[in-house]
Amino acid sequence: MEQTPIIQIENISKFYKGADEPTLKGVSLEIFAGDIYGLLGPNGAGKTTLISILCGIIPPNSGSAKINGKDVFTNLTEMKQLIGVVPQDIALYPSLTAKENLQFYGAMFGVHGEELNNRINHWLERLGLSHAANRRIDKFSGGMKRRINLIASVLHNPAILFLDEPTVGIDVQSRTVIIEQLEELNKDGMTIIYTSHHLDEAENFCSNIGIIDYGKIIASGAPAELIEQTENARNLEDVFLHLTQRKLRD
Amino acid sequence: MKKFIASIKKETILLLRDKIGLSILFIMPIILIIVMTLIQDSAFHTISEKGVPVVMVDNDHDVLGEAIFDGLKTSSLCTITDSIDGKKATTQSVKEAVSQGKYLIGIVIPENASNNIRKSVEELVNQSMGLEDIQNSKALDSVEIIMYVDPVAKNSIIVTVMSNLHEFIAGIKTKIMFETFTEQIGEILPEGNSAPKNVYEQTQIIHYKQVYASNLVNDVVPNAVQHNVPAWTIFGMFFIVISIVSNIMKEKKEGSAFRLYTMPTSYFLIISSKVFVYVSICFLQFIAMLLVGIYILPFVGLDSLDLGDSISGVLLLGLATAFAATGYGIFVGTLSLSEQQGAILGSLSVLLLSALGGIWVPAYVMPGAMRQISSFSPMNWSLDGFYLLFFRGTGFVGILAPVLKLMLFFALMMVFSLRIQKRRRAN
Repeated sequence: MEQTPIIQIENISKFYKGADEPTLKGVSLEIFAGDIYGLLGPNGAGKTTLISILCGIIPPNSGSAKINGKDVFTNLTEMKQLIGVVPQDIALYPSLTAKENLQFYGAMFGVHGEELNNRINHWLERLGLSHAANRRIDKFSGGMKRRINLIASVLHNPAILFLDEPTVGIDVQSRTVIIEQLEELNKDGMTIIYTSHHLDEAENFCSNIGIIDYGKIIASGAPAELIEQTENARNLEDVFLHLTQRKLRD
Repeated sequence: MKKFIASIKKETILLLRDKIGLSILFIMPIILIIVMTLIQDSAFHTISEKGVPVVMVDNDHDVLGEAIFDGLKTSSLCTITDSIDGKKATTQSVKEAVSQGKYLIGIVIPENASNNIRKSVEELVNQSMGLEDIQNSKALDSVEIIMYVDPVAKNSIIVTVMSNLHEFIAGIKTKIMFETFTEQIGEILPEGNSAPKNVYEQTQIIHYKQVYASNLVNDVVPNAVQHNVPAWTIFGMFFIVISIVSNIMKEKKEGSAFRLYTMPTSYFLIISSKVFVYVSICFLQFIAMLLVGIYILPFVGLDSLDLGDSISGVLLLGLATAFAATGYGIFVGTLSLSEQQGAILGSLSVLLLSALGGIWVPAYVMPGAMRQISSFSPMNWSLDGFYLLFFRGTGFVGILAPVLKLMLFFALMMVFSLRIQKRRRAN
């Protein structure tokens, strides 16, 4: 039976005002339900822009983005209810406690009252943060902030979770917990779209990979397939360097 | 609605946790009101109670010199003396004393001034009664009164003292004229002039009565408190712009704004909750500042603020001002690209709007073009509204026009903010 893609991107281009060239040049992509899709690329390749378009934050100049067969920008509120976004930077209020942050963000997704409190307690427990529930975020370590950053995006049980470098700058312990929890969520049926510069992490974690460079998808497929298709490649890093070359990026 | 309440709760906690920001919002405007009212009040009393220091040399030693000296002595406007450092003032010492800033004004009455006026008046009376031929009249000596003025003295003070001086001189001239006429008529009339000599002093033809053109039930005497409390209250309320800008910029910088954009929540709802919280804070500021005017200012020797006859009007205007200030803050916060930019733009534009709005200097003393520009400042609409309530006795209905203007300004700021935000995200 042919699987229906949960995300369909067709020929998307994005040109930022004042930029020398387009950030995205006719990107087309399909991601299937239950996938852990790794969007990899050097700095400035267009990963964050592509995710921002899929999340309905910025509109493309041309092309279309669909979730569950519906256009993202004509059904924005409905689409946003289906997704969760873990931003690259910590997007929390530093002077609020962990619980206050989660109560606010949960409410913004339409989860309220007892149900919201139960979910917050469940997730704090799951990510080992119950003891810090009433501590202000500005008193948290980097790893703790990353974990709260993740919880704030999953309180409404989204069908798709976008993660923009969720494990950057944290210790191995926090990174392991986050990856494990993401795998758990995926087992429960959540589709995960993830960007990272940790290629070994992506190789082990992702079921499918898309490599983007200069605003174009230059390769896609399962990590093992990509390694096999690339001459002399032993791992995903070899594939990545082979495709994107060694030239430094801005 | 639940989202709106959650957003209000978040904004309130953020504001309450920012102790320094909160104290700036409340304590600074209160200090500002007390200090500015005290300064304005003492400046007013320096002139009205102590008076302008004036030194005078009377070389006339006759009615004119005496009339000017006595007149200025009884005037509350001046403190007059005819000696400097215990010595009788001379033309030279007066000039020196004024140039050294010991006195603001020095007056020198020339010799024979009264006599010269008398001669001039006699000649004029004789000519007008046909007793003397105009063709044969002698050239009259004019009287020149010299005024030495301290270059740092305000022009308005000089003009006021000069007008007093003119009044005394005109009075003396009229008196001499009346006495000369009386003498001439006495010589013409066969029965002689039987009228008492001091009839002029006994007659006061014109009386002046100062009445404030107000509809207030209880007469309110304009004073520094009535003028300054509304003016600095409005200024303080508009300084909420800095706090709003900081809130919006922090949200952008800390990434919360980005996360909010990914949620099924409209930007309008997020902004509306900010408006709700900041309008409430701004209105509380307003109430606090009125209470300072009513209850605290009398403790520092100032008058108590009188709210006029329409408390509901005062509250409505305060609320509309809170909306206008908050709307402006949201606009500046949305427009700015960094916290520093927002702080500079916010504080400078509030200073500019306050200067144009007549907070520092009343709009009616501004030049024509500036007065026109002033009428576009929301602070001017608010201040005019408070003056209507506090001085002119306008009721609730009378202040609906400024209230409407302030609310339209708020609506316009919100529309601009939403448009800017939408445009920025699209690019």
